[in-house]
Amino acid sequence: MRARDNPFSTDRVLRVRHRLRGESWDSLLSRLAALNHRAAIVGPEGAGKTTLLEDMEPHLARKGFEIVPLRLTREQPAFAPDAIRRLRQQLGPRHLILFDGAEQLGRWSWWRFQRVARRAGGLVITSHRSGLLPTLIHCRTDAGLLAEIVAHLLDEPVERHRDAAGRLFQKHRGNLRDALRELYDDWAEQPTDRAERRLPAEGRHHDRTAACRRAG
Amino acid sequence: MSELKILLRDERLNYQPGETIEGVAGWRLDQPPRSVELRLFWFTRGKGTEDVAVVNQLNFASPQSEEGRTFSFTLPPEPWSFSGQLISLIWALELVAQPGNHSTRIEFAMSPTGREIQLHAHASA
Repeated sequence: MRARDNPFSTDRVLRVRHRLRGESWDSLLSRLAALNHRAAIVGPEGAGKTTLLEDMEPHLARKGFEIVPLRLTREQPAFAPDAIRRLRQQLGPRHLILFDGAEQLGRWSWWRFQRVARRAGGLVITSHRSGLLPTLIHCRTDAGLLAEIVAHLLDEPVERHRDAAGRLFQKHRGNLRDALRELYDDWAEQPTDRAERRLPAEGRHHDRTAACRRAG
Repeated sequence: MSELKILLRDERLNYQPGETIEGVAGWRLDQPPRSVELRLFWFTRGKGTEDVAVVNQLNFASPQSEEGRTFSFTLPPEPWSFSGQLISLIWALELVAQPGNHSTRIEFAMSPTGREIQLHAHASA
């Protein structure tokens, strides 16, 4: 299959937004305000922390905050040499920092960053570990969520994907990003021919769920 | 209500490098937009990080709430449209009206053959 047709291509997966479970946006934002807008989104890799952080941005902007996005990754685990100095000059009470990947900072760097971030009106981080800031929400995944996302991407009923998603979820130990990447690879092997790709066909369904079966 | 359209001359979707792509960009909006911009760009789609590059853009001056404006771009020599299993490179035109970030997009192919090059087809040949 051509990459552009793959239902699990990065752009399609990134369009899947965070599904708040058992809580409304109003409730989440109220809890954040109660924490003086300084809190952490905590969870393991592939649990949707970054997506939730991104989804918070418009809500917080509507509250009047000017958003300052920061991001560190395993590939780029530190800020540029003068970034903290520039941040110090920039920040004021109307700014709210959304910092993805705070766990990348060592203890000293985190302490130094926090001193600068005090100037901002808020700081929301994502982290694999708790303890950096009060935990706003702990992102957890489950097989049902993976089944929902797969069904959404394929525009099919979720019931059709529950069993396979359960096996794939276990294989990837709850990392939905990795599970969806495996599905990408599985679909990449499928023929591009449009008739072959038609979703309701029984044969296609077996082909499509091959990766999930392998997961078991 | 917002409606944006890009109509290509002769409804052509296949081009060669250096050719001219032309047509009409139209919009119907509730209010006169602050800006309407047409972008010629390519992007990648597939597994991993996406790349995008805007190679030309056209700002329509003093846009009214309902209009159709002609446009014309000369296509660059590269990159060519292609698709493999891991990545596709796709050419497109995108019309964006502000405020509101209203947009529409039309994709087309650009290569010496005028068609998207199929990498896996070549590999298995």
